[in-house]
Amino acid sequence: MITKPSSKELAGLLARLAVGGVLVYSGVIKALAPAEEFAFAIESYRVLNAQLSLWAAYAVPWIELYAGLLLAAGVFTRFFAAFNGAMLVFFELLLGQAWLRGLPITSCGCFGSSASNSIEQEFAQNIGLLCLAWAAFKYGGWLTADNAVGPDEA
Amino acid sequence: MIQRKNARLLALAAMLIFLSTLAVLLARQFNMGPTLPVPAYRSFGPVEAPVQIYEYTDFACPACRHAAEKIDEMLKVFGAGLRVNFKHYPLLTIHPWSFHAAAYADCAGEQGKFKEYAGLLFAGQEKWGQAKDKPKEFEAYAKQLKLDWPKMVTCGDAPETHKRLKLEIAEGDVKGVTATPTFFINGRRAVGSAQLIDQAMKFDNMLRSAAKP
Repeated sequence: MITKPSSKELAGLLARLAVGGVLVYSGVIKALAPAEEFAFAIESYRVLNAQLSLWAAYAVPWIELYAGLLLAAGVFTRFFAAFNGAMLVFFELLLGQAWLRGLPITSCGCFGSSASNSIEQEFAQNIGLLCLAWAAFKYGGWLTADNAVGPDEA
Repeated sequence: MIQRKNARLLALAAMLIFLSTLAVLLARQFNMGPTLPVPAYRSFGPVEAPVQIYEYTDFACPACRHAAEKIDEMLKVFGAGLRVNFKHYPLLTIHPWSFHAAAYADCAGEQGKFKEYAGLLFAGQEKWGQAKDKPKEFEAYAKQLKLDWPKMVTCGDAPETHKRLKLEIAEGDVKGVTATPTFFINGRRAVGSAQLIDQAMKFDNMLRSAAKP
């Protein structure tokens, strides 16, 4: 039975859908494009060599897609809210080191080649997404697959 | 009970992962992914033309030379209704100099003569296509068109030029291009000039109405 949500639960649901939705979009748009395109963007952060960048470019879009989709659907909600939060922290570290080193990054690679914000904008956007991931972790328990499949109790 | 619940959630997760993977792979197959922009010198026809053709081509491929002639005819006939965007897809395993030819054609494009240089490359493909050493024709064509050859050499060796070509090849691979010339006419795939004409006829009304003065 669907109960009337509190304002926090409603905010948690919206946060879950927002973070999940952004990650699904970001994953799909990159998975539809050649991996080499994203690999060139990863290389520009000067953290991984060309070969590892290519492997990362093959894997990351699918991880974003699956993790975003499962969070939005509310499957293992708290786990995927934390996982997506950790992923966003990792992206922040990559962006932050590039920003501090003043690397000439023309495309952050975040949403493929079709859209490219500056590093500063992406950094700020990720902070916003991190806040939403926290809200999804804390209050994202309403309308989840976790609840739909049955109670925890024996 | 908790184990049963987790098993159900795992099954649901597996189903979502399977379905989303399938959806993305199908979208790739149906050419629904983003298309990398083409440099302006490789696009012909008005930007707002109702029929947009993307051609993946290889300068050493005889069928591409034949298709280039057809494309030129179509551009003349349909004018305002058609825009053609050339994408490089050199077949590296069978045409050893195609990648270089594509790079130099782009460099000629940066000097304003992509189409002219491409025309000479197609016309002379039997001379340079299977050469053992770097063909002299690349320089000869540049000089024939009064292009700045040293500048073209620098441009042809530039990492940016190579990066752009490699991305186009990778894009072609993602879209399932395996032969040249492959066309996408408003997203519909056609391989070879016969299929090009066949597909283009489906857009005949749009082409003709846009071409009317």
